[in-house]
Amino acid sequence: MQASENLPLRQRLLQWIEHLTHVLPAQAPIRDFVHHNTLHGFQHLPFAEALAAAQRLTGARPWWPASRFLEEWAAGRIERADVLAAFDDVGLTGLDDEIAGGVVRRDVLLAALLAGDEVPVTARRRWLAGEGTGTDLGIFARCCQLTATTKENAPDDWQQLAHQRWGALCQEVGAGRTLRNVLAHLSGEDVLETVRSILQRHLAAHLDLGMAAWRNPVQGRGFYAAWKACAGLDLAWELDELPGVRDEIHHLADDPVVVLETELRTLLPDESLWPAYLESLALELPGWSGMFLWRDRHPAVADGVPVDMLDYLAVRAFLERHLCSELIRRLTGAPLGFDELRAYYQANPAEFLVRDSLHSGGLPEDLQAAAAGLCAATLDGHEVRGWAVLAPKLAAQAQADDALTQAWRLARLVTQLGWGEAALAALDGDTLAHLLAAAELTSLQRSQIWLAAYEGHYREQLFVALSCNAQRRQQWPAPSAQVVMCMDDREEGTRRHLEEIAPDIETFGAAGFFGVPMYWQGIDEAAPVALCPVVVTPTNLVRELPAAGSESAQAQHMRRRETRLRWRERLYQGTRREVLGGPLLTAAAALPALATLTAATLAPAWLARAGRRWREQFDGRVASTLALTGADVENGIRAGFSDGEQVDRVASLLRSIGLTDGFAPLVLILGHGSGSRNNPHLSAYDCGACSGRHGGPNARVLAAMANRLEVRTALAGRGIVIPESCHFVAAEHHTGDDSVEWYDLAQVPAAFQSDLDRLLGRLAEACRLHAVERCRRLASAPSRPTPWQARRHVAGRVADLAQARPELGHATNAAAFIGRRTMSRGLFLDRRVFLISYDPAADASGEIVESILLAAGPVGAGIALEYYFSTVDNERFGCGSKVTHNLTGLFGVMEGAESDLRTGLPWQMVEIHEPMRLLVVVEQAPDVLSAILERQPALQELVGNGWINFASQHPSTAEISRYCPRRGWLPWAGRGVLPQVARSSDWFAGEAGALAPAILLGAVS
Amino acid sequence: MIILLRDVTEWVWLVPLLPLLAALVTGGRVLLGRGSGDAAEPLTERLAELAALASLLLLLLIDLSVWWHGWPGHRVFVTWFAAAHWQGNISFLLDALSLPVATLTALIGWLVVRFSAAYLHREAGFHRFFIVLSLFLAGIQGVLLAGNGLLLFLGWEMCGVASFLLIGYAWQRPRATGNALFAFVTNRAGDAGLLFSLGLAGFWVGSFEWPALFDAQLPLVDLRVLVLGFVVAALAKSAQLPFTPWIARALEGPTPSSAIFYGAVLVHAGVFLLLRLEPLLRHLPDVMAGLLLIGALTAAYTWLCGLVQTDVKSALIFATVFQVGLMFVAIGLGWTTLATIHLCLHAAWRTWQFLLAPSWLVLTRDRPAPPPRWLAANQWLYTAALQRFWLDKLGLALLAAPTEAIARDVRALEESFIDRAIGEPGRGHAVQPDRPLVQADGLAGRLLAGVSDLLQRIENRLLLRGRGGVAERLLREAGRWLQTLEELLEQPRYLMMAVMATFVVIL
Repeated sequence: MQASENLPLRQRLLQWIEHLTHVLPAQAPIRDFVHHNTLHGFQHLPFAEALAAAQRLTGARPWWPASRFLEEWAAGRIERADVLAAFDDVGLTGLDDEIAGGVVRRDVLLAALLAGDEVPVTARRRWLAGEGTGTDLGIFARCCQLTATTKENAPDDWQQLAHQRWGALCQEVGAGRTLRNVLAHLSGEDVLETVRSILQRHLAAHLDLGMAAWRNPVQGRGFYAAWKACAGLDLAWELDELPGVRDEIHHLADDPVVVLETELRTLLPDESLWPAYLESLALELPGWSGMFLWRDRHPAVADGVPVDMLDYLAVRAFLERHLCSELIRRLTGAPLGFDELRAYYQANPAEFLVRDSLHSGGLPEDLQAAAAGLCAATLDGHEVRGWAVLAPKLAAQAQADDALTQAWRLARLVTQLGWGEAALAALDGDTLAHLLAAAELTSLQRSQIWLAAYEGHYREQLFVALSCNAQRRQQWPAPSAQVVMCMDDREEGTRRHLEEIAPDIETFGAAGFFGVPMYWQGIDEAAPVALCPVVVTPTNLVRELPAAGSESAQAQHMRRRETRLRWRERLYQGTRREVLGGPLLTAAAALPALATLTAATLAPAWLARAGRRWREQFDGRVASTLALTGADVENGIRAGFSDGEQVDRVASLLRSIGLTDGFAPLVLILGHGSGSRNNPHLSAYDCGACSGRHGGPNARVLAAMANRLEVRTALAGRGIVIPESCHFVAAEHHTGDDSVEWYDLAQVPAAFQSDLDRLLGRLAEACRLHAVERCRRLASAPSRPTPWQARRHVAGRVADLAQARPELGHATNAAAFIGRRTMSRGLFLDRRVFLISYDPAADASGEIVESILLAAGPVGAGIALEYYFSTVDNERFGCGSKVTHNLTGLFGVMEGAESDLRTGLPWQMVEIHEPMRLLVVVEQAPDVLSAILERQPALQELVGNGWINFASQHPSTAEISRYCPRRGWLPWAGRGVLPQVARSSDWFAGEAGALAPAILLGAVS
Repeated sequence: MIILLRDVTEWVWLVPLLPLLAALVTGGRVLLGRGSGDAAEPLTERLAELAALASLLLLLLIDLSVWWHGWPGHRVFVTWFAAAHWQGNISFLLDALSLPVATLTALIGWLVVRFSAAYLHREAGFHRFFIVLSLFLAGIQGVLLAGNGLLLFLGWEMCGVASFLLIGYAWQRPRATGNALFAFVTNRAGDAGLLFSLGLAGFWVGSFEWPALFDAQLPLVDLRVLVLGFVVAALAKSAQLPFTPWIARALEGPTPSSAIFYGAVLVHAGVFLLLRLEPLLRHLPDVMAGLLLIGALTAAYTWLCGLVQTDVKSALIFATVFQVGLMFVAIGLGWTTLATIHLCLHAAWRTWQFLLAPSWLVLTRDRPAPPPRWLAANQWLYTAALQRFWLDKLGLALLAAPTEAIARDVRALEESFIDRAIGEPGRGHAVQPDRPLVQADGLAGRLLAGVSDLLQRIENRLLLRGRGGVAERLLREAGRWLQTLEELLEQPRYLMMAVMATFVVIL
């Protein structure tokens, strides 16, 4: 950025905007919700550094608060050993030095962590002391004496203190703070509310994807022009007591860059601060700014309305300048610029100190009231005296507070160490200073240690589970069927139950698009959609066509379906905006609506089933087939796949999951998707590897490819021999109601029918058992349900209009295993682990695992990190509770009718999540993995910067080592025993919380 | 069976009472600290649901009894209070207007309670929500079934408070609480109208009962004044011009509450009130013309604003108020039956549509058709519609800002004069430099200090000045007299005389 000083402003602005893509939320319109790392823009930094930077910039809290970790400590989910190990992980030194009285630094640090870093304000401290819950009074008194003598010298002079604080505050303008922010701190009045209410209607109207009927007449000229046309006619300026603004808007230049430059120059004469200032400005309404920028970067998405980030920034800067100068005028009596404001408070340190102390909080009541009174009086325009009387008192208070804070910390520490008053009395000044220094932890370090310990605890459990499982000699019968599922953590449960009831079924996991990136157009879909990870751009299009002979049925189906949808559209839009039709449609639809609502309330599952049946009866059902093979290329997209491409796709999937021989009679490719009612975040529950859509079509296409004779022949040439006695079938697993939809069953040869029937039955049974397992975490589910009860419950759940938690999605996901199923088969993993099949035996060079890591690493990390951030600060990184959400412009949700656009995951999705980074365990030798990390910068970023935790299990010795970015590979030498149970249900029955891994004996026959 | 049905009307008072009891019980549980955790939720929800369902079933039974026994009409149950010819009764008016609307409302209420149970699971405000929702259900049944103005007013206020509490459901957000206050204050205007009319009714008619009011032969001028108060109340509650802005700000609560309050039920309360007063309105064509005009203006206003709304809830609320405006038009034209039917059907449909607001993404495919070209190209009208014709800002500028200014002045007056005059504890300072212990602040303090000063002086002057003073001599003299008197009284005869004298006085 520095090198570009001489570029014209427009170019520089474009560069700055480019930079904004790293810090603003990058969430697409909500219809296409795909999980991604919330802090993707910081991924080039090490994890802790990135989180600290994000915290500075956005004000969000990227860690769980210490109190939450202490709860986990109390619940035994973090233990002493975990914390001690975490000190090493974080890189603290001198842990074994003796500090005082035979206590080493390790213990002191542990005590400091457990003591918490909350320093209560004076009033609360008194209350705690009075309640006897804080810390022993005698100890506290002694600590007060001790710290009183060792106290650092704060500036005695209040004027000096004021100058110092004001200087620091001014320094931050353009570096994380805006003028608005400073003024809000000084006056307690935030103009952001006004800015948002002025901006929001214009922004929503401009970005709208299909709510509003009437759009700004000059919308086609961009946001700035549209805003200017409206704002120039807007009477609100006068009503808001901002006369003259309307005139000014009339005379604004047509070029947003000119406006931006003028406003920025007025706000901040120092040009070098502009990029950071614009960044802070954009981050003040992160949701709206992010959506605007997303549309700026994806111009093809909407109906051709131009969206240019410069427009937005120009308007934002204009509002900032006007509203701030108005507030400054009320604050100081004159519309000062920033430099003049700086001089003003330098000349009036007393006033500054009073304002600063008031809005920093923590004052005793009498001082608070006095300060508030003075500040309120200025806004009324009265001449105020008395600043100079109050300021020294506040300074003295601050100083006293500092001393007590020190004492409090010491007292908590000493209490935690278990020292009595006698031991304390023996301490001299030096030891004391030494002790305090040894216990010193920054808040960043504290968070890091807690997180490392929390992750460490679960990691140890997993490692013990893996090593125990490796020692078991497991034998399975020859497979009667092989099932390839998505790597999704939710499918861990399905696979486990399937193997438990049918040990002769072998299961595999792969990214849920099954190596077939494609555009897909279903028979009822108006336009093709991409079914592949977001980072991939497909080059093939597969259409679903009516089967031969059913063209006329298809035509009728299309006609009837269109009629039905048109009437539905008419009903919902007409009752909203038609003058005459509205009341008539309302009258016609009222009673059916009331009846439907009553039915949906009493029997949601029945209504959903019946509705589906009625729709099908009305539309007619059409047998379909795939337009799979083709050669025509149009606009760089091939209709269908060529034979060569088909062979490639099938071969690469089979090789990647390690299924190249020993084919069972039936190979089922099982995609997944979810469905729920009344849920704007619908696609967040779908398959992440299919861009938040259903993965069934990919499964269907892959199975169809693998069944083609041409493909099989070519595959045999590549060493993958699929015998004639093997048939591929495809289906889609509904993760919400645990149902399975099978594809193209009519085309399965008769020879496979009995095998197929058996597989159908077993899969359905596994799904029901899976539903039982899911019910244990759902409060409204029956406790200890039978499989059928559970299935009925989840079916009712996804059909329920009122259900804010149709399923729990990826909540509690924590790890990913890349390796043979033998690694994890027979382990209860509580649906917390992504399972990706990979055969290290056939991959000495590590090429296959490299491509798996490249594809699955970002997807898994994206899911885990999005859940992590939405959990630790649901207000800032997540989107809060669903219950007040209000769908806006068809692209996002607001809270109520006026708020910032909310991005991230709703609270209902992450409520039971345990925020930790994904632990990826690969069944491959450490040196092979090291070589891959070195080769691939993308992986280096993820692993080397600690965005995921990485470990290896050696394919032959089963030794586990874990990768530490600082210290390299660390062999794991832990040991432990695992509880052993017959079946999953024995382990989870009656449990509602998170469960540790266990060994399942019944899974091995 | 049919005979039994006749008596069911006697139980109609349970309809508003049951939800109220549910609210009270849940409130009590929360107060006693029994309202936290998953385990506490089912009881709260079931209480509310049971109350709502019982109300519904009771109303259905009453409806059924109408089949055989005809409309029950006006029933007085209890006299709440009475003074001279004034009577406050618990009475219900069960006729072709109130019963259908109340039954429908009970059904919607029950459905919304059921909906909310899953929707609000584990929300921090779960119990609060159900308390307020039950309160609302009690209030609205009070409004609908009331046989007199007082009971209606009671219900009306309960609905107002419930609405306020649910707009401010997310009380952590300043925007939500601000909007709750805005809605509440706007509705105060309507409540004032209602209270005004009730006062006049008591004064002129001498009764609050609807039949008495309808039969009263008031002069037209009086009647007009009386009805105008009710009309203001109806306009405010149903968000007609100029009160419309409050309802667009009332969408901060959870979706089910938006559905039942602003989509379905509460927004129709004003229409219902006017329908209830139809016998009075019939005499006042000019008031009806006014209603027609306001309804039409509101419809035009909300239609224009509705065209530019970009979020589902706002779009739906403008559409709702549009049709409510049409109901006012119908009332203005005297088509009350049409208005009643429209009210019921509209409430049913909007419940569904509001509850399904989060589904808008999958329910619709295309952008709605644009307005006619002459309108679409009008930049000024577009701006005005986008800014909702500046109504709420006007309200703020014309009403709120001056009120605030006055409040500030009063506060300044208090701080500069009244507080100083009264004085504050702990602020006292010595009134006289030679007596540092006597400290005072404010007029009262100074006055007290003055009095104590005076007493001090008297004490000094009379007693402490020492021996030989006038006071001492007089006191000694008086002492001698008293001693003599005592000696005389101690002799028996005088003692007897004193006792007898006492008896004489007593008898």
